[in-house]
Amino acid sequence: MTAAGGLISLLVGTVLLRLVLTGTYGRYVRLGMGPLLAVAGIAVIALGVVTLLRTLRHAHAPDAHDHHRHGGGDRVGWLLLAPIAALLLVAPPTLGSYGVGRGAKVDIRAGAGVLDPLVAGAEPTRMTLLEYGQRAFDRDGASFGGAAVQLTGFVAGAEEDGFRLARYQIACCAADAAPVVVRVVGSRRIPARDRWVTVTGVFRPGGDDVPELAATNVVEVPAPDDPYE
Amino acid sequence: MSGGRNGYILERTVVKGVNTATSVGRAASEGLPGEHRDRRRARAVDPGVAAVAAVVVAAALLRPFLERLLDRPAVAHWATVFVAIAVQAMPFLVLGVTISAAVAALVPAGFLPRVLPRRPALAVPVAAAAGAALPGCECGSVPIAGRLVARGVLPGAALAFLLSAPAINPVVLTATAVAFPGRPAVVLARLLASLLAATVVGLVWARTGRDELLERVRRRRGGDDGPALAVLVATAQRDLLQAGGFLVVGAATAATLQTAVPRSILDAVAGAGPLAFGAMAGLAVVMAICSEADAFVAASLTQFSLSARLAFMVVGPMVDVKLIALQAGTFGRGFALRFAPLTLAVALASSAVVGWWLL
Repeated sequence: MTAAGGLISLLVGTVLLRLVLTGTYGRYVRLGMGPLLAVAGIAVIALGVVTLLRTLRHAHAPDAHDHHRHGGGDRVGWLLLAPIAALLLVAPPTLGSYGVGRGAKVDIRAGAGVLDPLVAGAEPTRMTLLEYGQRAFDRDGASFGGAAVQLTGFVAGAEEDGFRLARYQIACCAADAAPVVVRVVGSRRIPARDRWVTVTGVFRPGGDDVPELAATNVVEVPAPDDPYE
Repeated sequence: MSGGRNGYILERTVVKGVNTATSVGRAASEGLPGEHRDRRRARAVDPGVAAVAAVVVAAALLRPFLERLLDRPAVAHWATVFVAIAVQAMPFLVLGVTISAAVAALVPAGFLPRVLPRRPALAVPVAAAAGAALPGCECGSVPIAGRLVARGVLPGAALAFLLSAPAINPVVLTATAVAFPGRPAVVLARLLASLLAATVVGLVWARTGRDELLERVRRRRGGDDGPALAVLVATAQRDLLQAGGFLVVGAATAATLQTAVPRSILDAVAGAGPLAFGAMAGLAVVMAICSEADAFVAASLTQFSLSARLAFMVVGPMVDVKLIALQAGTFGRGFALRFAPLTLAVALASSAVVGWWLL
């Protein structure tokens, strides 16, 4: 399958490069992986092109001992077409609310020290859901000092007096994603599940396991380029 | 297992057929003027290329169906995790394949056996440590170990090399460090537990192993010969497809486990000490993830203790379903049936000891 192998490599490399150029790769891996993915894509494209050129030039010299030594193992390479097809046709979406509560959960209390107090200004302070949770559990939210904050995440389900806002933390790729959840209360409007929203509000003490935010404003926003924290 | 053997025999037959056909074709074409020959070549469509094109076209036609599938949250979750594991592993896979191809092309074939000592007590640990110098996936180390045995290297040493190379090489250890940020002890534990397991298995085989099971591979001749660039490209291409294909299997298995298995089951097993060890080892055997990617999966299984996840990373590169198949294809079924259980037991014990000590 040498010519076919070259073609598969060409496809794999092209898809990798396309993921980087369109920024779609942020749905699957950390943004910092971009340059590595680009280099890998270019290398695989080069490999595929060289293989194809060689098979064209040596059309009459089958790599007999290759097949001989590796038995049926080469056929498994065809499976590479599965993720390729998925990515070329329908790039799977960012992880959504389905995984919240299924996989591992971020342990917010771990590693949170004593945090500097926020400075209350005219603009609300933007922060990650993780930082919000850490501040909430640091001396019962004393570091907020009543300052307004702004969080961006997706809606992970409605609750009695509001909804759950969530965002995933990833170490490497979406396979190791673990969600951070904040309970948003006092919002009159409950956006649809899995919609991305930016919530402005102030810390509300009293959330047991899940920190709470009293919302003053909820705006629907497009899904960000870096969906994970 | 017998399927693998039949497949092997089938391949041989097919290759013979191709050889015959080619020589006939060449003999016939020698009489033709050059331009005719070129046209004949250009018209011949490689069946493999046609098959790739067919798969892509079929996928394009199925697009509406795929989009509707992705509307279901569980399917979308599965697809995202599946693609994420594959994409994340690709740069590491490409690096490993490139270096391993360069070694195959540039290091003289007789070099390793010549520098290895003769006495098992010395040769086995040296071979196990030498595994660090040969980056690559476990799929690549099986044919290399087969070639070492064919060239007269002590089988116990070649097998220690086979086990250690995919587990302790710099690419895999780097991937492990990336997957477990801020926890260098995991990298060290993986290195030590893998080295220990590879050495013990090699020594046990040197002492009690039945080398007659390896006669089949000893009789085989041939290796990577030809110009360095040709070997480089051919090796890299072959390894990339093979490792990439097995990576896809692993990503699909992992995504399925993450999507389908209720968290309560994993949590229940995760808290159960020795049971968690067995479960993680079993997971490693069934998932058959490439050693360059398995650390990322281990990192995601946060319910399990670090020691249990160490067992996952030590067992994975040494024993798994695809490796057993590859070993049976290269060394023979009788060998694989004895070698795999021995390796599994030793790898488990080794990661338990090292995990208890370091993690």
